[in-house]
Amino acid sequence: MLNRRNFLKIGAATPIVVGGVALSNAKQLSVYSGKDFSPATGLERIAIPSACWQCVTRCPNISYVEDGRLVKIEGQPASIRTHGVMCAKGQGGVNQYTDPDRVLYPMRRIGKRGEGKWKRVSWDEALSEITGRLKKLRDDGTPEKFMFHYGRMKASHSKLIKSAFLGTYGTGTIGNHTSICEGAKWVAQELTWGGHYDNWDFDNTNYVLNFGSNVFEAGTNHIPTSHRLIARMADKRIRVVTFDVRLSNTAAKSDEWVPIIPGTDRAVVLAMCNVIMSEGLYKGEGEAFLEFCKVTPGASATLEEKVTALKAHLKDYTPEWAETVSGVPAAKTAEIARDFATVKPACVISYRGAVANHHGADTERAIQMLAAITGNVDNPGGRCKAVGPKWKYPKGPKNKPKSRKLKILDGLPGAAKLPNHHVSHQVLQMIKDGSAGRPDVYMWYCYTPVYANGQVQENIDILKDETLVPFSVCVNPFYDESAALADIILPDTPYTERWTWEDMVSPAQIPEYYIRQPVVKPLGECRDFADVCIEMADRMGFPLGIKSHEEFVKQSCEMTPDVKKAGGFEYMKANGVYHDPEAKPRYFSYRKALPPEKYLAETVVKDPATGVYWDWKKAKLASAQEALEKGYVATKKSYKAYVGQEINGVVYSGFKPDKVNKSGYFEIYSEIMEAKDLPAMPSWTPIPEYEAKKPDDLILTTYKVAEQIHSRSANCKFLSEIFHDNPAWINPKTAKEKGIDEGDSIKVNSSFGEIVIKARVTPVVVPGTIAIAHHCGHWEYGRYASGEVAPKAAGSPGGDERDSARIWWNGERGVHPNWIIGNVADPISGQLRWMDTVVSVTKA
Amino acid sequence: MKNSDVNLSRRNLVAKAGLGAAAAVATATLPKPAKAEATDRTVQYAMVIDTRRCVGCHACSVACKAEFDVPLGETRSWVEYIEKGEYPNVSRQFLPRLCNQCSDPPCVRVCPTGATYKRKEDGIVVVDADICIGCKYCMQACPYDARFINPRTGTADKCDFCLHRVSQGIAPACVNTCQGRARIFGDMNDPDSEVAKLIATEPVTVLRQEMGTKPNVYYIAADHTDDGDARFQHQYLRVDTHRRAKERR
Amino acid sequence: MNEVFWGLPVISYLFLAGVGAGAYTVSASVLLRGGGGGFGHKHFQIARYGALLAPLPMMIGTGLIIFELGTFTAAFENGDFWLLFRWIRLFLTITMSPMSIGSWVLAVCILASLVYAYTFLSPDAKPGDDKSSLRLAMAWVGVPLGIAVAIYTGVMLGAMPSRPFWNSPVLVLLFLMSALSGGVAGILLLKAIFDHEPQTDDAGGTEPAGKIDRSSYLLSASDMILIGFELLAVFLFIMFTYLTVGAQKVAISVILPGGSLSMLFWVGVVLIGLLIPAIIELKYVLPTLLHKKVYTIPRRVEMIVALVVLFGGFLLRYVVVIGGQITGPVGI
Ligand SMILES: Nc1nc2c(c(=O)[nH]1)N[C@H]1C(S)=C(S)[C@@H](COP(=O)(O)OP(=O)(O)OC[C@H]3O[C@@H](n4cnc5c(=O)[nH]c(N)nc54)[C@H](O)[C@@H]3O)O[C@H]1N2
Ligand SMILES: Nc1nc2c(c(=O)[nH]1)N[C@H]1C(S)=C(S)[C@@H](COP(=O)(O)OP(=O)(O)OC[C@H]3O[C@@H](n4cnc5c(=O)[nH]c(N)nc54)[C@H](O)[C@@H]3O)O[C@H]1N2
Ligand code: SF4
Ligand code: SF4
Ligand code: SF4
Ligand code: SF4
Ligand code: SF4
Ligand SMILES: [Mo]
Repeated sequence: MLNRRNFLKIGAATPIVVGGVALSNAKQLSVYSGKDFSPATGLERIAIPSACWQCVTRCPNISYVEDGRLVKIEGQPASIRTHGVMCAKGQGGVNQYTDPDRVLYPMRRIGKRGEGKWKRVSWDEALSEITGRLKKLRDDGTPEKFMFHYGRMKASHSKLIKSAFLGTYGTGTIGNHTSICEGAKWVAQELTWGGHYDNWDFDNTNYVLNFGSNVFEAGTNHIPTSHRLIARMADKRIRVVTFDVRLSNTAAKSDEWVPIIPGTDRAVVLAMCNVIMSEGLYKGEGEAFLEFCKVTPGASATLEEKVTALKAHLKDYTPEWAETVSGVPAAKTAEIARDFATVKPACVISYRGAVANHHGADTERAIQMLAAITGNVDNPGGRCKAVGPKWKYPKGPKNKPKSRKLKILDGLPGAAKLPNHHVSHQVLQMIKDGSAGRPDVYMWYCYTPVYANGQVQENIDILKDETLVPFSVCVNPFYDESAALADIILPDTPYTERWTWEDMVSPAQIPEYYIRQPVVKPLGECRDFADVCIEMADRMGFPLGIKSHEEFVKQSCEMTPDVKKAGGFEYMKANGVYHDPEAKPRYFSYRKALPPEKYLAETVVKDPATGVYWDWKKAKLASAQEALEKGYVATKKSYKAYVGQEINGVVYSGFKPDKVNKSGYFEIYSEIMEAKDLPAMPSWTPIPEYEAKKPDDLILTTYKVAEQIHSRSANCKFLSEIFHDNPAWINPKTAKEKGIDEGDSIKVNSSFGEIVIKARVTPVVVPGTIAIAHHCGHWEYGRYASGEVAPKAAGSPGGDERDSARIWWNGERGVHPNWIIGNVADPISGQLRWMDTVVSVTKA
Repeated sequence: MKNSDVNLSRRNLVAKAGLGAAAAVATATLPKPAKAEATDRTVQYAMVIDTRRCVGCHACSVACKAEFDVPLGETRSWVEYIEKGEYPNVSRQFLPRLCNQCSDPPCVRVCPTGATYKRKEDGIVVVDADICIGCKYCMQACPYDARFINPRTGTADKCDFCLHRVSQGIAPACVNTCQGRARIFGDMNDPDSEVAKLIATEPVTVLRQEMGTKPNVYYIAADHTDDGDARFQHQYLRVDTHRRAKERR
Repeated sequence: MNEVFWGLPVISYLFLAGVGAGAYTVSASVLLRGGGGGFGHKHFQIARYGALLAPLPMMIGTGLIIFELGTFTAAFENGDFWLLFRWIRLFLTITMSPMSIGSWVLAVCILASLVYAYTFLSPDAKPGDDKSSLRLAMAWVGVPLGIAVAIYTGVMLGAMPSRPFWNSPVLVLLFLMSALSGGVAGILLLKAIFDHEPQTDDAGGTEPAGKIDRSSYLLSASDMILIGFELLAVFLFIMFTYLTVGAQKVAISVILPGGSLSMLFWVGVVLIGLLIPAIIELKYVLPTLLHKKVYTIPRRVEMIVALVVLFGGFLLRYVVVIGGQITGPVGI
């Protein structure tokens, strides 16, 4: 055995051989080698290409194994998305595997629900009970009484579990977590350019204007975009301006941080559009792009009409007016508008800061308008339509029943007018309400209804109540706040121990195919839930025809042409990622003129009202005649039949609709909005709660930090060691008015409850607001998160316990803000309004 | 190769690793072949941290913790946040920290056992855990608080520039993960290396130069503000160390 | 608050090593001053107290320091009991580290002091007995060794720019004075405890053996002078650091008014540990010194003075060791 001394002594003393060549000095050090060695023994660690699943970005990674244990994770150098770099959370993924509080065996509660008493049961016992109930519901013709609620379930997991398993089972009562995430953004994009995920082409941009995106700490495509932005800033010195209610790290790195009153970004964006239109700054690229925009009612309009319409709509949204709403100085708004319109290409970006509030969807629409009138849409360096890989995969049984669902997914009556992605944070309230029926079985996966939503106490109360939720199943590798309230916990594997094909979008505008593979054998009796679904289907007598998730991934690799060409499953196992080296980045997707055979096909008609060419057969209509009579807009789900858009005599691929029956134009004017009594053009709408707000009330916003992933990472000791406390940020001016000093305990009251939290008096937050980070104040989730050791079913082996006694942040674990944030919805999209809660704050 | 092979000589070990790499997956970026002639010039590894490229993401801190399984409470690498100004003219700067691998290291000077020494081959200051008695004298002597007692071994520990990687021709873990590519690593005695070029052409600074330690970690655009300056300028200043020791030492 | 790497074990060690080394030096000086027999029985007695005292605190102190070693703690944590003996490494090499040199010096000093003590061990020990020459030889080495030990503790702390509070040559002087004064106090204490003869002296007269306590006078007087020097050292220590710029100036502020160790330092170290004993001693020494009065001091007072001096010596180490660690370089 090499001891440390020998190792130190021999180390680099002699020329080292790497890759068969002797190296004599430092020059040859390789930064992205895809190799790692043990510091203790000097021996090489086994490298397995896989993928991260800490956050939604799902970066490809390389995982290193030593003595059968996962010991280190690095970025995947071959990835065009990440270029081999990785964030803190990704690095902290090793802790998911070694978390001593992992659930390793199926557990059934003994004693009262939520009492914390469990017994270990066998998989057979657990699944017999679950499928017994599910099968009965299905046999009774009420499959909808099985509610499945998921959070971060993506790619092949989604296809296998949702499409194949749940699809064949027949329930449509499937909840997601989009409304607590970014639903408003998606709805707005569906209304304007169809589909979602905007990509920001930082590689080529010369100016970045940011509304409420914390690119450097968070973001749904975090590492792929953030490392590009910092590179561009450093190499090309491009200008970055960030609007945020507090100095995020992104704002701190920006050339300019523009503080803004929460929830008011739209006012500033509208004012910018006003400046650009009234000063003629739209001319050039913006003017050219207007050809593809819909700005007026009806199918077509001249450029002049469009310009006139825009000017007229924006007339009153002056920078001076915006200042009264947002607190942003008029001159600043005008200056930034002029810069943004002049520097080409420029990219306007936005995330939850801009949209997770009242009429947040309209803010995203306004931002889309800003990109449009400056010609920064889907162009190199602008705001692009994201590009992702298109996997082919086995679909499971052909004959799936028509699914039935409980109408509890879209929120309380009147909560939202366009809940394209549901109002999942009101699901529990709907269950309590009961008027639309209640599920008999409530199962959740990759999700924590208690902790991730607002109104935590109510979530707890409902989940605890056996009359409201008769039977609940939590699928989770960890014992979180929601698992504590389940009847059965099924131990899922963390991402380090399972198969997936992955498909997150690529900021290189070139699709990247990648897979996740188990790095180590599952601990205990953990099983990938996708495999469990396959077994459950077997048990209930509707086999999915898929042997395992691994098999599913394998078949997908062989079915997907690009991947197959590269070498299929074996290639992906060895390399982890693939992209076509010949591929060119995709821009201007909308500008493709369709070949006549496409739109002159027999089943395609032109809709006179919109200029849309659509396929009546795909729209499940009988004939062209019926199509013409009913019209594109009025036909249910006609967007699925969209073919192209006629614009000035040419039929373009256009902005293909998704989820709503929009035209192929980039819709700044939305008849869909109009039909719902919502503003057709992006507009300012006063925020009711602000109107009613008392002068000394504050506005509460919440945010994410670089070292944690919302509910799921506080069990990672290396992450919680860095970030475990979340004092409320309050501006010195505001603090002084309230007699609050640094470190004081303060009471924060909303109409939903009260928390007591420590104050951090700091000038890096807008006066009149308080900002509280998400992620802290766990009361379960294991010793590193909450100090509570997770209950274990008897006899289960522990994980890595060596550090348990060294937790030094006991007593500094912060407070969860969601106790006092309401499960209220943006009236347009249903998005939870995280960022505009009115609160009163006093010294405790 | 299996990492449970224990009786390999060091030479075998690296040679095997080499073969492994040659056959390795196509994704691995192999180092460029070395020039044929061996140089007898000494190597001094150095790191340049370009704070303009640093986004304060802590990937380096966590990468380092994972690479060495550093016990909770201790840090080989950390990132300080320096927040200052008055609303709305405020800033936050990031200062990644690690052992400076000093050329005149006080930790070496005070070590009574010789456990801490500076390697002639590459200038890395290392601790030999088989010799160290854990007297903590080096911890007192280091002006950068770069050292700690590793509770598992009871001996002094600190960043060793990832000797186990560097000696295999690959860059340190923190350099590998750094999304801003703010950490640049190499031999500063090699005029062609990136670090040497940066040190030559950029206005670099080192931390606490007055300590006379001759650090080999260089900073570009580091914010050197401290409490004293802030008090003098009547400014708000907050330094977050993001480690157990909440005060910067 | 900064983390304190060296706590009570090291503080006690510095104090005890100082007392031991001081006692050795003082004892040896007294012995040598009297040419081995000295000014009679009393001086020999004093040398004897010192000699018997010296090794103990040094050994206890050295033993204590093992508790501060990281390897000691880890031995229990991971059950590797070999780690308990890792400190032996100190003596497998010698480096230019003040701790390395110091450890050797200390080891030699302890050994020498043990031999020296051995020569005094017999109750019949007296000047000119058969151990006389060994005793004298050990006394000769004892003076420099004791001083070296006292000095090395100061050098060890003072050698580091990273610890501006310690980084002053005056610290050596301060520790040396404090060690000697601690040695004297230790001897005085032993004497006061074990020596029941009346404490009188006709000051300068002939010496009616057994009756006069010229030695006691000598001790108190020298202690007084040592304290005087120590006060001077304190003054220099503060002024030198206070008058500079940067880190040292900031560091010294922990013992200046408003600093976190200020009370402990001024009340504990300076007032109780230095001024009060000095004043008491002055009260008893002055009449003898100026008016050649007979030197008398109640045993209880002598004991209290000794204890107070020792207490002050401990506090001094405490304040210095902690003060050095809760301050550091300024700037970054
Ligand atoms: N580190 C980390 N990364 C993550 C995640 C994570 O949990 N942790 N989660 C992933 C997921 S699911 C998502 S959806 C994304 C979210 O990514 P982001 O939306 O970028 O992150 P958030 O922190 O939710 O919000 C962004 C910023 O909005 C600011 N803000 C709040 N109110 C307002 C406002 O009214 N106006 C403006 N202009 N700004 C405001 C906040 O201060 C914050 O800095 O991140 C993903 N990546
Ligand atoms: N105050 C505030 N609240 C927020 C936000 C905010 O910014 N501020 N952000 C919101 C956003 S953007 C989102 S997307 C949501 C996210 O809300 P969720 O989707 O609920 O959060 P996650 O962190 O993904 O993890 C949910 C649970 O998944 C479990 N889990 C972790 N890994 C696995 C696994 O491998 N398998 C399974 N089966 N389970 C696993 C963990 O127990 C964790 O508790 O939170 C929202 N809540
Ligand atoms: S951005 Fe998200 S997916 Fe990528 S490495 Fe970080 S945590 Fe993992
Ligand atoms: S930074 Fe500290 S530990 Fe590192 S070489 Fe310099 S003095 Fe030694
Ligand atoms: S702790 Fe170890 S490395 Fe540090 S000075 Fe002591 S013996 Fe040397
Ligand atoms: S070089 Fe290695 S040991 Fe040093 S900070 Fe970076 S990762 Fe840690
Ligand atoms: S990884 Fe790089 S960018 Fe991130 S904090 Fe460390 S040095 Fe800065
Ligand atoms: Mo999200």
